[in-house]
Amino acid sequence: MSDHASDRRTFLKRAGAASAAVVASRLPVPGSASAQDATVKPDPAAKRGGTLRFGVHTAPAHFDVHQSGTVANIGAQSPMYDYLLRRDPRDGQTIIPDLAQRWEIAPDGKKYTFHLRRGVKFHDGADFTAEDVKATYERIIAPPKGVVIPRTPLFSAVSDVVVLDPYRIEFRLKEARPRAFMLGAFASGWNIIVRKKTLEENAGNLRNVMAYPGTGPFRHVSRRDKEVWIMERNPDYWNKGLPYVDKLEVYHMPPFSPELGSALLTGKIDYGRLLDPVSWRRAKETPGMTAAEFNQSVIQAVFMNNKKPPLGDPRVRRAMHLALDRHALVEVVKDVAPMSVGGFVYPFHELSTPAAELISKRLGYQKDTKPAVQEARRLMAEAGHPNGIRNLTFLVRDAATFKLWAVAIQAMLKETLNIETNLRTVQISQWFEDAAAGNFDLGISAIVSALMDPSDYFTAWYGKDGPQNYSLWTNPAFHDLARQIEREVDDGRRKTMVRQAEAILEQDPPLLPVSYEKIYDAWHNRVRGQNPSTFFGIYDVVRWDNVWLAS
Amino acid sequence: MIIFVVLRVLPGDPLVAMFGLEGFAKLAPADRARIMEDLGLSDPLPVQYARWMRDIAGGSLGRSFFRGDKVSELILHRGPLSAEIGLLSVIISWLVGLPVGIVSALRPNKLPDNVARSLSVLFLAIPGFWLGMLIVLAALFWFNYKAPLVVVHLWQDPWANLQLVIGPAVVLGLGQGAYIARMSRSCLLEVILEDYVRTARAKGVGEAFVVVRHALPNALLPVVTLSGILMGFVLGGSVAVEQAFGVPGLGRALVVAVIERDTIVVQNLVLLYAVIFVVINVAVDLSYAWLDPRIRYH
Repeated sequence: MSDHASDRRTFLKRAGAASAAVVASRLPVPGSASAQDATVKPDPAAKRGGTLRFGVHTAPAHFDVHQSGTVANIGAQSPMYDYLLRRDPRDGQTIIPDLAQRWEIAPDGKKYTFHLRRGVKFHDGADFTAEDVKATYERIIAPPKGVVIPRTPLFSAVSDVVVLDPYRIEFRLKEARPRAFMLGAFASGWNIIVRKKTLEENAGNLRNVMAYPGTGPFRHVSRRDKEVWIMERNPDYWNKGLPYVDKLEVYHMPPFSPELGSALLTGKIDYGRLLDPVSWRRAKETPGMTAAEFNQSVIQAVFMNNKKPPLGDPRVRRAMHLALDRHALVEVVKDVAPMSVGGFVYPFHELSTPAAELISKRLGYQKDTKPAVQEARRLMAEAGHPNGIRNLTFLVRDAATFKLWAVAIQAMLKETLNIETNLRTVQISQWFEDAAAGNFDLGISAIVSALMDPSDYFTAWYGKDGPQNYSLWTNPAFHDLARQIEREVDDGRRKTMVRQAEAILEQDPPLLPVSYEKIYDAWHNRVRGQNPSTFFGIYDVVRWDNVWLAS
Repeated sequence: MIIFVVLRVLPGDPLVAMFGLEGFAKLAPADRARIMEDLGLSDPLPVQYARWMRDIAGGSLGRSFFRGDKVSELILHRGPLSAEIGLLSVIISWLVGLPVGIVSALRPNKLPDNVARSLSVLFLAIPGFWLGMLIVLAALFWFNYKAPLVVVHLWQDPWANLQLVIGPAVVLGLGQGAYIARMSRSCLLEVILEDYVRTARAKGVGEAFVVVRHALPNALLPVVTLSGILMGFVLGGSVAVEQAFGVPGLGRALVVAVIERDTIVVQNLVLLYAVIFVVINVAVDLSYAWLDPRIRYH
């Protein structure tokens, strides 16, 4: 566990956020004895009562959180459920107990034993036991037919889920995995605990079951499709004294939209998530309001179809990688969506090359693009394309950011390498159909991961036959290394291997990283107890149990 | 039938909306086939069409792919809001367009006419959604105001309801009003040169009475026809304008359904719009007989 401590400290140093460090330094190390006692405790200074109005994303397309991949579900439904472990809402990172009061990890890393809370009740009055955890996780690990759960690969090493007694459950692994990875998987906001009976009654598919019972701090009251989801305080919540607010109203509003921004600025909602930059900046300047930004687990990237010559040539792909002026690309969309420069590994993750080092030293990320362009031209000449390439089809998703970027990238490739592209803008669902069918040369889109840990997305994004490897990229040396990273339990060695993997990806790019998404939140100062500045993504900390209203 | 076929020919996959980017990417072909079967999308097209006809006959209109909500409930919940916007916009178009047309016709090629014609051309040219966005931004930045976020029916809270519908109604009404102004001007210009108008003036009837009692009723018939046609524009325009104002009406539901590829919702809403358009045009045709006694005799 001490390794986690050093990693976290390292992260905090890199982040350079002094305020975050102050908060986080008071928090216990994940998995340590002190962390296991760190359940969120009621704040005696907090006021009780009131209605919290939260604006986030459009309405969910279905109600099954496990099967979902969008914040549309998490944003609205999370407050009704708990997990085995959770990320501390005070820093968004430290893993603390939730329904599992404490846990033990076998020295060989192949057994995780969770001791569950007693006296926890589902919203329908049923007792929570280890059988519910088993049913939940067996469904996640091996979904029934017709059920697709994106987090299934996180638990690929789990061979058995064994109920030891009604309040003790054991996860047995075929082979050890890094502890940070496994604990992160258990603390993922997607892995809500649902009743065994609920799953049985619905044949394991909750897509059309609107309000299945959870154990969370809020209970379902009503929902108006595409408008609002209303919840009330769960008076029987196991964490006595929480939540503070009596009622929670979740308003469905498109992300980055003026509609969401104006609802917040006019006080129609108390807290807005996924704000557009213009509204966010205005909120930041408005007295009585607070604005925060944080990193999100989404990469915006250009895929290059490796099956279409000359894009199979790593030199051509690296040349294109070096030809992008990433700082300009972030600037291009600054009034549409907040972004930051990064490479092939989450730039804010403890295992990756620090963003500052990336931007100051590495070709392709520097503000001065001349050296990178020079190298790109050399590579193109070496690959036999000194005069450029003609007629590449550039598949563009019909969204403001992608359309702006596509035009900018088209110009950058033309000006620096004389690569000519023809833009083909299509609706989102069509983009994925075309991408999966290989009907493109270049394609721009965003892809997400469940965890920030490289072992999650190295497989999904860059793995051979990875579901989001739209470039159809393969590199045996990388795939071997990724497999080793997945199994390496020593954090130091793992970090070294991730850096080696990064070096391979730089030389043989599977995609062109355009930028990493950031999230803009803002709220009226009457909302207390929430500051997402140090959060990683928007999926793990959405419960509102520790938030209260000052007026 | 046309919309049913078009929606099935159009590219795009509802499973992207259903599972998100990550989930969709991880769908195995077998899972995908099973889910499409659950949604009823793998049935032969005639079977799907027959099922839709059965749902229409039963009054439920089927259920949304995604959340299982009944389309009929969606229409009952959001339809009144869109209907109010439509009716209010027609009223506004007459209240604005008719006086402007009359003033313009009575003072042809003079300053009031030139101003009226310029304004009507301006409002003909401005897209409704753009004007809507300007109004929303102006209300926000100057008055820190935004309309209610959820559907509020007239019978629940008339004031909140008015705040929801007035913006889109004004934008759509001004657009239509421009057409009404131009049409009423040209019709009135023709009518006031007729013999019976000259006779009325020769008898010493006041100018206002001549216009209102003798000229206007005869000039209105084409304007009524135009209003019927414009209702079609209102239906189409409401989709974009509701979106601009963030009003949770049927137009907005249609936009979301198109994005989600929720074909059941889209095909039912398009059908509803088509039925409304036909009914309005029939009503306009029937109104001729009431407005113009000559038509009744033929």
